[in-house]
Parts: sequence; C-alpha cells; structure tokens
Amino acid sequence: MKRSLAAIPAILGLAILAAPAEAGPINVMADACSGCHGTDGQSVGAMPGFDAKAADAKSAAELKKLLRDYRSGAREATVMGRIAKGYTEAQLDAIVDHFKK
Amino acid sequence: MINISRRTFTGFVGAAGALSALGLSGCGGGPRIVVVGGGFGGATAAKYVKRYLPSANVVLIDADKSHFTCPFSNTVIAGMNDMAFIERKFDALANKHGITVVTDLVVGIDPVSKAVKTKGGNTFNYDKLVVSPGIDLKWGALAGYDQAAAEIMPHAWKAGPQTMLLRKQIEAMPNGGVVAISAPGNPFRCPPGPYERASLIANYLKRNKPKSKILILDSKDAFAKDKLFKEGWEKMYDDIIEWVPAAKNGKVTRVDAKAGVLETDFEKIKPAVANVIPPQSAGAIAISTGLTDKSGFCPVNPNTFESTLVKDVFVIGDSCIAGDMPKSGYSASSQAKVAAGAIAAMVMGDKPAPMSAINTCYSLLAPDYGISVAGVYSVQDGKIAAIKGSGGVSPMGAPYQFRKKEADFAGGWYASISQDSWG
Repeated sequence: MKRSLAAIPAILGLAILAAPAEAGPINVMADACSGCHGTDGQSVGAMPGFDAKAADAKSAAELKKLLRDYRSGAREATVMGRIAKGYTEAQLDAIVDHFKK
Repeated sequence: MINISRRTFTGFVGAAGALSALGLSGCGGGPRIVVVGGGFGGATAAKYVKRYLPSANVVLIDADKSHFTCPFSNTVIAGMNDMAFIERKFDALANKHGITVVTDLVVGIDPVSKAVKTKGGNTFNYDKLVVSPGIDLKWGALAGYDQAAAEIMPHAWKAGPQTMLLRKQIEAMPNGGVVAISAPGNPFRCPPGPYERASLIANYLKRNKPKSKILILDSKDAFAKDKLFKEGWEKMYDDIIEWVPAAKNGKVTRVDAKAGVLETDFEKIKPAVANVIPPQSAGAIAISTGLTDKSGFCPVNPNTFESTLVKDVFVIGDSCIAGDMPKSGYSASSQAKVAAGAIAAMVMGDKPAPMSAINTCYSLLAPDYGISVAGVYSVQDGKIAAIKGSGGVSPMGAPYQFRKKEADFAGGWYASISQDSWG
C-alpha cells in the first residue's frame, strides 16, 4: 500500500511536497513532538527546531546524542529530560531519523 | 489527486453551496472524513488525516469562523494580551491543506446512516467521523449557576466573549476589591488553569490595584502543580492570593448571581468579581449522539480513540476519557494525531500504529515565571497510562533563570502548537 501511494507522484513526475502518506508507528510517535517543535520540526517560536532552517540546526548524530543525554540526565533540561525518559534510546534515534529524513 | 476542496464554506451558503458541499464530501472516490470542532483536537485531526491520507476528503465543521484558545486566555484576562492574540483562523487548513472548512453548528449525528446534520440545513456523510467538541458546562450542577448567571459571574472557561467579560469586570473593580475564583472538582478542562488565572490576575492587581485580594474557593484539597504554585505565590503574591481548600469549606455550593453572592457550607461571600468555573461534561453533541457514559464523558478505545459506544466515530480532546492524560490542548492535539493515524490505517486496511502521545503544558505565574508538567503515554494493560519514569512537573526551588526560561518556552510552546494545529 505504502509503495503504491509513493509511486503515484513518481509516475506523474510530480515533486513530493508533503510528507509521504503513511501513518506508521514512527510517524505517529514522532509527530507528537511537533506540538512543541512545529510540524516537521519547523519550530516558529522559542522552542528549538529540527529542520535545516533552525537557528542552531543540528545533524542527526548531534540530535541523537542530545536526546540520549536528556534521557540519561547527563544534560540538564527544563522539560526535555522528563519527556526523553518516556522513550527507549532506539525510539529516540528513530524519531530523529524521521525528522531528518 | 485533483484538489477540489480548497474552499471555505459558511453557514450562509445557499442551496447551490449546500449541494456543492455535499458533492465535495462524496466525490472523487476518496474516503470521507468529517471532523466536528475546530479547537486543538479537531484542527489537528483534520490536518493530520490529510497528511496521513492525502486522498481523503476532509470536512472540518465549527460553529464559529475562528477559534479562541483557552491556553493564553488567562493572559488576556490579566491584560497582557488582547483577544486577537488567542484567535486562530481556519484559513491555512482550507488553503494550504485542502480541507473543506464549514462554519455551521452541528445539530445531529446519525451513526446509522453515517451523516452529520447542521443547523444551516446541510448534511455531510462520512466514512469516519472525528468528534472534538471540547467541554460543555453543566448548567445547574452548581445550584444557581445557569447561562443567565454566567453573564453576571463569568466562567471564562470557554475562551471568547466570556474572557473579555471577566477582564472588564476586573479592570472596573475598585482598588481593594476581592476577586473570588470558584474552582471545580475533578475532572475538568485544564487542571492547572484556575491557579494560573489566579496568578496572572494577582500580577495585574499587584501593579494596578495593590490593595485587592484573590480568594480561590476550591472544591478540592489538592490541584495540579500545587506545590509549585504555592511556592511561587509565597514569593510573589503572599498578601494577595488566598487558597481555601474543600477541607476548610472552600467548596462553593450555591451562587446567587443577582445578589452577587457565593455560598459555601460555612459562609456567604460577596466579592467584587466572581469567576465561577462550574462542573463540566463532554460537549453537547457528544451527549446527544450517545457517545457519553454515566460520567458525562466519552469512553474510547485507548489505541485508536474510536468510541466504544458508536462505531466509526472517534472522540478526542476534553470530551474523551483518556486515562492518565489530562484535559489539555496539547493532549487533544496529540490524541488527534493518534486518531488520524488510526483512521488512515483502517481506511487503507492496515493495522493502526501503537498509541503514543505526549502532553506538555505550561502555566505562567508571572510574565517571566513559568512552570510545566509533561507526560509521555502509551497503552498499558488496556488503558492510557504515563510511561514509568517519564514526565512530571518542574523542580521545586529552581532559580529565577529556570522559571524565566520556562516562561519563554511557554510562549514558544504556544507559537508552535498553534502552527502545528491550525497552520
């Protein structure tokens, strides 16, 4: 199903403007972050963004380390430590890959 | 793939408009998804259904042309912002995301014929329906408090004209007056809300009417983030805010709006301004559709937010029973994504993804003093529960810079969630 949907724009020669049409586990898990960090990580306010346009844009590897450090408590946080502890390291990595794809 | 739904309908559309609205929700062969309510839950559901399922014909119906958010409405009451700051329009949902936005009041849902009927006389057929009507106030549940009483003693628990009514009463109050806030028992929309409101009104009074006082008359003995609020009050508003718990006869048992009196079991109080936040239930349309149980709220499948009482109807936000998740804008928006994902999967014949959601909620005690609560949720033993070891509230005893940072993040939170839901 996902393959056939993704194939349509390719067949028509259209650029993919929006995120691929799927509601897989990582999409649903990662999109919960967008309430604070903006749709697709494009934060519009004081919250850090994940996209390339973000003021202090970080690489996927940097973000993964950051989230793991929030999770372990190695890095001080206001709220992000409390949230990162709700995920496994593998889940945090997958969330970063989702936003960085 | 042809985008034909990039139009905004109003309650005043004529017969031709009504016909095309009907045609739109049924044409193209795409699944018909109707969303009732344009708050955090409904707006996010409409947007994310379209993201997860671009072939869907999504119709969002709200009674009003725009939505005034409850988050940050306390800053309007305290004179820090105006109403435009909390007004969210539906233009981007219609123009950017191809959602058909209808301004009309939903008066009936028929789950057998799978049709939504509006006051304006339109009918919208659905394959899947999202119901996100927020709360309704239980008029009469607090003796003497009905719609007429709310015009004298505003609740301001649905943002809009009530927000400005309360603000104007506080602005008109003489220096030395008492503002009484009657806080309800659980469950209710925005558990820390009454206490943020007290804080920000106190901030206004301290600067403008320093002899004035705030009396919180509570139906409870504990409340969300209570230790943090009390810590902040002691620092900033010790001589202004007095919190009276239920155990000390704080519970308001009757109001006489015309006489301006709040009654507890112990005494009669006549404040200069009375803000009565009454008991609440799911939105009226959820009740009339048979989506509520005896609690007055809507039981749902915790994995998908589909009603356990009515098939193909998904209830999100303040109206649903969501286990550990509080009734907040962020919860509603996060639940909307879970429901949108489940709807997309079900329509495509796939298994819905595991439920995963977040709540993050800030309260301001002053423009530069913020505190937060957060939670990460999954389904555990058949119920929505906080993931062990995660979440919780801001630390006690944090330095000024920490509170200031959280106040800045509160503003960032509001900007981002507004964009994520309506933008």
